[in-house]
Amino acid sequence: MKILIQKFGGTSVDRKEHRELAARKVIKAFEAGYSPVVVVSAIGRSGAPYATDTLVKLLKDIDPQVTPAAREMDMMMACGEIISTAVFAQTLQTYGMKSVALSGGQAGIITDKEHGNARILEIRPQYIQMLLAQGYIPVVCGFQGVTQPSNTSEHGAITTLGRGGSDTTASALGAALDAVAVEIYTDVDGIKTADPDMVKAARTLDVCTYEEVAEIAHQGAKVVHPRAAEIAMDRNIPLWVKSTFSDHPGTRITSDAPPEVKKRLTGITHTGKIVYIRLEIENAEHKPIVEREVYRMMAHANVNIFLVTFSPSALSFAVPRTLFPIARDLLDGMVVPVEHGKEDDFGKLATYYIFKFSDGLDLAYSVQRPLLKAIEGRVKIVDVPASVTENCTMVSVIASNYLRVSGVALRIFETLVKAGIAIHQTADSEMSVSCLIPESEADRAVLLLHSALFEN
Amino acid sequence: MLHTGLSNQASSLTFERERGVNKVLITRNVAHLVINIEEDTSRFERVLEAMRSLASSNIPVFLVKLHRSALTLAFAAKDAKKADTSLQSSGFKTLLRDDLAVVAIHADSMRDLSGVMVQIADALFSAGARLYETGDSHNSVQALIEGAKVEAAVQSLLTAFHLDDSAVSENQVDAE
Repeated sequence: MKILIQKFGGTSVDRKEHRELAARKVIKAFEAGYSPVVVVSAIGRSGAPYATDTLVKLLKDIDPQVTPAAREMDMMMACGEIISTAVFAQTLQTYGMKSVALSGGQAGIITDKEHGNARILEIRPQYIQMLLAQGYIPVVCGFQGVTQPSNTSEHGAITTLGRGGSDTTASALGAALDAVAVEIYTDVDGIKTADPDMVKAARTLDVCTYEEVAEIAHQGAKVVHPRAAEIAMDRNIPLWVKSTFSDHPGTRITSDAPPEVKKRLTGITHTGKIVYIRLEIENAEHKPIVEREVYRMMAHANVNIFLVTFSPSALSFAVPRTLFPIARDLLDGMVVPVEHGKEDDFGKLATYYIFKFSDGLDLAYSVQRPLLKAIEGRVKIVDVPASVTENCTMVSVIASNYLRVSGVALRIFETLVKAGIAIHQTADSEMSVSCLIPESEADRAVLLLHSALFEN
Repeated sequence: MLHTGLSNQASSLTFERERGVNKVLITRNVAHLVINIEEDTSRFERVLEAMRSLASSNIPVFLVKLHRSALTLAFAAKDAKKADTSLQSSGFKTLLRDDLAVVAIHADSMRDLSGVMVQIADALFSAGARLYETGDSHNSVQALIEGAKVEAAVQSLLTAFHLDDSAVSENQVDAE
């Protein structure tokens, strides 16, 4: 039995004509001798009547001041895929195909108990295997599973898998069913060198490595989720990204890529609404202590920081814009005491560092600073000026084995600098070079970089 | 009832990777260069000049960071002399260290995890390893430290993240 997993995203199932195109892909595979297992996302994207966001709003609107419980959120969100699955199974039946709609739990997908971001622990594939043997096409809800049935608690609570959940379902089913391939259907022909909505000249890549796909997805391209790519990579399952709306062969994702693919420029992405914070800490001896306290505060508040950069007298880092108010409130007026161990030459026993944003953003500082006056005889008080660069985004060039390619960073910097686009900071890894730039320049930066690196 | 020939075993496969830190990758023999660049209107032109100088010497660079009065970057220690000479002949003042190593801490979706940075900083601090620079990507935080401190730093990181020696591997910065 040649089992083929075919996953259709929200835009592939959002209306009747699209579902019919998707159904034809499934029937074509069936007629070619494959045993398809279909995975579907909720119908449509944000704003559509049965989209996940719309369903969540139903709960949130009950009282915006009361956050819905994660368990009930999962029950609500799971409805989107259940509706979509039933509709798609019925679509296949109207074409004369034997089809069965299955929730995640009915498909045997067992997860941990982390509602909203559950991890697949186990898949019990027997029922799907039985359906396939009987000539049925199972249509499985993406994005969901159930907790382990138990005699001492409920018999399996509905969970959702978090971001990339439907892609993850598809890859995991591919692994559990020993599928010959997993096909992820979307509204573009495959993985592109840039977002085709921004760059008309973006071309479709014939083949990509799993690592490239994971990097592209993490850096902002909405192709296939890295969790799904990682499962496929770990199990060596061929993964394809294809369009529901064309017969283009799509992009094959594999570990068995030709040498030129393993060392190349892959694409341009941009992602994130980011705020960049710089803290001036003059004392080199105390700086590591103060820095650790900054990290600790951010960790306590679940603020993830990145693009961390050390200078001799400064610490800089980025935070997502949504978390900036929390980061600013934590840092404004924060005091980090550093004991000297003994009295210094000026009779001071300690240095207290207090963080100060620019005027207007320093409410806590302006209250706390006068309070410290009482101890200034024995303690040195040092202001840590904090400056903020708002409205940033990150544009990234995905470059396989970047470390082994001299001059890549230069070409990127040259392109941006010559166009007068400010680079606030850079980050790099073995797979990418990223530049933090003004958000207003994102479209232009992507176009220019694509032109400079991919069109010549 | 199950049909003959079909598996009747619950799948014992593992699907998703463990979340959190799962690997420590050491890259030895790394050099770090601080290139002084005054903060004025031609700052970015000077940054480009420095990058061109290194590219013309065919030196791949990483951990590239922009500072107000400097550009810093790392590369293979074997290229240290070549890089320093090339930049100084272009009129740059530099500060070079060629006895460093990168310890990269890997986790899936690193940028979605809060608190990793403080654990890394605490672990390196307790090992007496000064951080010269850091870099980060979606799946790793790279810490540039003195080569002589690598063993202590790695042991401290393994303890902090509850990993054993099997999580440690080595990488060559100039591997081709």
